[in-house]
Amino acid sequence: MEIAAGLKVIGYGLATLGPGIGIGLACYACCMATARQPELQGRLFTNFIIGAALVEALALIGFVLALIAS
Amino acid sequence: MGPLSQLPEHLEELINELMNPAFIVGDSHFGLTNFVFYMIICAIILVVLVICVGRKLTLVPGNKFVHTVEYGYEFVRNDIGKGSIGKGFKKHIPFLATLFFFILIANFIGLVPGAKAATGSISIAWALAIISFIYFNYWGIKTKGGLTYLKEIAPAGLPKIMVPVIWFFEFLSLCLRALTLAFRLFGNMFAGHMVLGIFAILTSIFTTYAIQNAEYLIALPSFAWLFFLFAMYMLEVLVAFLQAYVFTTLSAVYIQLATSSH
Repeated sequence: MEIAAGLKVIGYGLATLGPGIGIGLACYACCMATARQPELQGRLFTNFIIGAALVEALALIGFVLALIAS
Repeated sequence: MGPLSQLPEHLEELINELMNPAFIVGDSHFGLTNFVFYMIICAIILVVLVICVGRKLTLVPGNKFVHTVEYGYEFVRNDIGKGSIGKGFKKHIPFLATLFFFILIANFIGLVPGAKAATGSISIAWALAIISFIYFNYWGIKTKGGLTYLKEIAPAGLPKIMVPVIWFFEFLSLCLRALTLAFRLFGNMFAGHMVLGIFAILTSIFTTYAIQNAEYLIALPSFAWLFFLFAMYMLEVLVAFLQAYVFTTLSAVYIQLATSSH
């Protein structure tokens, strides 16, 4: 039982790795682009939010799986 | 046997407190849980706020309170609505503003010690996400027509043979939007309150242990725990705002994706 709980946590931790890198890259690119063209900030930020939401979906699915796998 | 060995039993109590809502009135067939209670309080605050401000509306805001609320509304209208939806954003602003202020107030109520965040309950987060999901699908179908809406789930300009595959994946991601909206809100609020609870418990068990056993040096780590508690609390204030903002922005983006043609 304890091992199963630990495995769930490890699985969730693995699921966060990719999205973490992905959101980091998206935020980096958004900041760079905003620094180069500050007047486009609104649209860039919206695109960043869309991208972050798509990437984050994977981490959230990992979270859901960790919750429901019992 | 240090004070840390007491942590698991307190943790179980904390998880139970956060995961399983307690019934204030009634039972599981017909009753009122504490999360729903705070949701009703949040709705009442929202209605009172809007009525109070709505009565005092002037061309130039009269006092600071009205000015603050108007600033919040303008933030939703310009930054979220205009920035994300673009053309024809005006008819969606009431929905977006309601969503934003409801989640914001619910999150901030949760930061009051002793109170609970209504959005930290999975059922309320699901309800909000499904309202948003139905709303943007409704507007998508209304502006484009049912068949066109379904067809335009796949982006235009694909080779013919790829269309069914891409359509299927896009459809899947469309359906997952409700789930991700709900779990983003729930996960952030739940995890934040969990961390706050753990630091509060650590502070209290270290201090209690030191006083009971007259080993006062053991109480020293509680200062560190208390510091972490305050730091996390400040972060939670930011998260409470950010989650309301992200939820509203994503709803606006989904509305834009559903109503605009490619």
